Amino acid sequence: MNLPLDSGLPAKTAFLRVGLWTVFLLFALRLFYLQVLHGDYYRTLSENNYTRTIVLRSPRGMLLDRNGKVLCRNRVSFSLVLDAARGGSIDETLSAMRRILDFTMDRAQVDAALRRSPVASLAVLARDVPPSWLQKIEAHQQELNMLRIEMELRRDYPYGLYAGHALGYVGLLSPEDAERMKIKETDPFIEVGKSGVEKTANVRLMGVNGRRTAQVNSLGREVEDPKLRLPGVGVQEDPVPGKPLNLNLDMDLQTILENAFAGETGSAVFMNPNTGEILAWVSEPEFNPNLFSGTVSASAWKELVDDPTRPLLNRPIQGAYPPGSTFKPFVALVGLQEGLLSASTVFTCGGVWDYGGHPFHCWSKGHGTIDLITAIQNSCNIYFYHAGDRIGIERLDKWGRLFGLGRKTGVDLPGETSGVLGSPEWKAKRGLGPWYPGETLPVSIGQGYLTVTPLQLLSFYSTLATGGTRYRPRLISGPPEVLSTVDVSPEALGVVKEGLARVVSSGTGKGCQIPGVEVCAKTGTAQVVQASSGKNTYSLDKAERDHAWIAGFAPRSNPTVAFVVMVEHGGHGGDVGAKIAKAGLEYLFLGKKPGELIGPPKPASVPPPPLAEPEIPTDLPPEVPPPPPEQPTPEGIPQGTIQDQNGPAGVRP
Amino acid sequence: MKNTLKAYVAYGDHLTTLLFLVLLAGGAVMVRSATFGTKFAPLAERQTTWCFVAVAAYVLATLVPYEVWIEYSYILYGLCIVVLLGVMIFGHSVAGSRSWLVLGPVGFQPSELAKVAAALAGAGYIKDLSHKVIGIKEFSILTGIIALPMLLTLFQPDFGTATTFLPMILAAFYLSRMGLSQILKWAALAAALGGVVFVLGWFTFFKPYQKERVLTFLNPASDTRGAGYQVHQARIAVGSGELTGKGLYSGTQNRLNFLPAPHTDFIFGVICEETGFLGAVALLAVFFALLGRFLSTLLVARDMEGRFLVLCAFSVILYHLFINVGMVIGLVPTTGIPLPFLSYGGSSLVGLSLFVGLAANVRAHRFVR
Repeated sequence: MNLPLDSGLPAKTAFLRVGLWTVFLLFALRLFYLQVLHGDYYRTLSENNYTRTIVLRSPRGMLLDRNGKVLCRNRVSFSLVLDAARGGSIDETLSAMRRILDFTMDRAQVDAALRRSPVASLAVLARDVPPSWLQKIEAHQQELNMLRIEMELRRDYPYGLYAGHALGYVGLLSPEDAERMKIKETDPFIEVGKSGVEKTANVRLMGVNGRRTAQVNSLGREVEDPKLRLPGVGVQEDPVPGKPLNLNLDMDLQTILENAFAGETGSAVFMNPNTGEILAWVSEPEFNPNLFSGTVSASAWKELVDDPTRPLLNRPIQGAYPPGSTFKPFVALVGLQEGLLSASTVFTCGGVWDYGGHPFHCWSKGHGTIDLITAIQNSCNIYFYHAGDRIGIERLDKWGRLFGLGRKTGVDLPGETSGVLGSPEWKAKRGLGPWYPGETLPVSIGQGYLTVTPLQLLSFYSTLATGGTRYRPRLISGPPEVLSTVDVSPEALGVVKEGLARVVSSGTGKGCQIPGVEVCAKTGTAQVVQASSGKNTYSLDKAERDHAWIAGFAPRSNPTVAFVVMVEHGGHGGDVGAKIAKAGLEYLFLGKKPGELIGPPKPASVPPPPLAEPEIPTDLPPEVPPPPPEQPTPEGIPQGTIQDQNGPAGVRP
Repeated sequence: MKNTLKAYVAYGDHLTTLLFLVLLAGGAVMVRSATFGTKFAPLAERQTTWCFVAVAAYVLATLVPYEVWIEYSYILYGLCIVVLLGVMIFGHSVAGSRSWLVLGPVGFQPSELAKVAAALAGAGYIKDLSHKVIGIKEFSILTGIIALPMLLTLFQPDFGTATTFLPMILAAFYLSRMGLSQILKWAALAAALGGVVFVLGWFTFFKPYQKERVLTFLNPASDTRGAGYQVHQARIAVGSGELTGKGLYSGTQNRLNFLPAPHTDFIFGVICEETGFLGAVALLAVFFALLGRFLSTLLVARDMEGRFLVLCAFSVILYHLFINVGMVIGLVPTTGIPLPFLSYGGSSLVGLSLFVGLAANVRAHRFVR
């Protein structure tokens, strides 16, 4: 039987064969294009798919006090991170987050966090979140695809409020920090010191993050699969931990002093005059550095900034105040060095001195005719008006420079302010006109165109203690660093020291007597407002009361400690200041141990704050601005009289 | 019996058998690799079992002379229609479509068998024609025979599987008395018509997911996280295989779950990733060799009904291959059409094995009268 082959079949079959070859070649070419020509590209994409770089976070160095007590360590914390590079909608994630985690955040906050993050697609939404969120996010992988919980190390200051200004705090690396510090980071959790020694020693403390490349599946979960031999997976760079930092602080002394402040505002610094080692650094009121460990909640930040007592101010170096009577030993020393005064130089105090038609008052109704040592002991204003007038502002300025008054001390803390040591040159530079002789008088009793930081004053007393050698004040332990040596004659020093010793033994500084130890100190009471002249300072409102000072060193021969205490609106230096100083000296010389800590020593973890706030400025303006240029009278004498108010006789301790 | 075997050894289509076995073995291996270490791992064993069933089906389809199959074709066809109707009413629903017949532990999609039955019924109709020429009337009837189970499948609803009946209608058309040039004219007309239907369908009956597939096919980079994810990940799987592949069980796109449906619709992605360009082209070569063999069988087939069966096998397998491979390598939009013999799934495997068996049968019996 003939095959009923219709005539078209061979042609049709041939056509199909051509079609078949066409499809085959099309497929093969397409595969060649994808696999051979662009294989590299797709291999990279596939490697990006399955590898994730896991940051191995390096712990920041611990902070230790001089006895090895831990002032700052690291703790493990869980943080909530949004990864914008993962698929999904941020808005939907936020609403799921609200529903599942009961955590509310608005879109603007997330955008801000993304903008400020060192890693473009990662934003830290909250830190110190409850560990239970880990399971919740796992359980809702679909809806919360963009979120993940990361473990990080955060700063923990076990002493809480104590020594907060010295230690400082850390915060997440901001774009500005990254630029300034030349840090290229791929970790959104990198923290840098924002103040205190955390900032000064940041590089040393930071360490270097390590990395590990892990193999992940399509859900981003890490998987171990021995069958897969993947290039690049398992590469590990170990983190380099930050180095621990030993501080010169003595936490027991610190605790005693802070407790002694008992809610007052002010500063206290204790230092070894022979090395510049800072033993205690008090700035009251305190803030809690734990609060800053990472993101600062908006409300906490606002509270700190708006606080009228300005807890963020690091008073020993950022507060500039008139030194008051604590300045007198300087005037005495300059007079002695310049040969214009001697131990036997006498002036007569009748309670008031008429200078060019203007009355300048003493706090006393009259000390009578007294010598230099007695004048220091009794803090006679009239004597020092005469002395200052004799010495002149140029010599005070010259020696002030040598002792570093009105200059930064170079302490290893950020944000130091310089204060003002008035001089004709200084006045001219500011366009304040010529220097009038009448303006030298207030300066010689520590008022007028004169503000110092507590640390500057301490540095001066410390230099008295060493006999002229100036050390850089240091919180971070290390070899002593001599700043300069002031050529001071032993005779001049002897006279001033005698005066200081008498202040404590039988003058205004009796409050800091230590049995068996000869303490040298000078109290001071710096006038805050004109209104206080001639009034009992304790009768004034707190805000108008005078600042109380005390500065000195001990023991008289071979001093081992120099100190300064300054209590804002504290009244008389001999009262509140001496009490605080005495507490510290008792610990150092008599071994009295600190009592109970006051305040919250270690707050538990801070609740998840919403977001990072703007930079906290470290260079706050000084608390007390340089004295307003008072309009001099034609005779060149300030309108008001400026007096040392060591309190009327009878009230004095 | 002995003679039959002897005749088979002498005239059997051993090349087709060989290519078929190669594909089956490839499928068994690749399903294993695509499910390794996942919850689907037990499917590898099942697939191996199905391979034996497929071989049995192939042997049956090859050895029983196809005129015998055709003789019983109306009964088989009728049975299939009844089962399809039954499935529509009582069937097991998977992903919203009632297409599964479940007998104990075994699930089966009768629509796959209905395809073979429709081809056989079509061949039976052609056999009963005295003139053996397919004109308009005959074509219409053949179309009806094929369209009935196709519509039942469409209403399950299983759109993807329903479309796999269409190539058989084209086969009937291609074997009609029209010459090649006339057929090409009709093809051009159909293409134009198809374009119009597509445009109209876009605005009327296309489902949103279907539109999305088309859009992401046209521009896969538009949404690599959402609708374009599968396409994107499949392309990475294919490309990253490079020349020689990452090795069996070592495809990261496959093993780490980036590739969607790696053991079913996207198994060709696994093949490309793990065996590279060389493996993928080798596999395609086997497929096209098999299809080429069908074309040569077409020329030597002894009768019209045999030709029809071969062309049905050819067109159905080519359709699957074109749509599936084209989807994986990004030449056609995403659809749920499996890769013959390699994608996991017993029904499709057995159904297509019967087609290959029948094609080999036609060749083996080319001299028998």
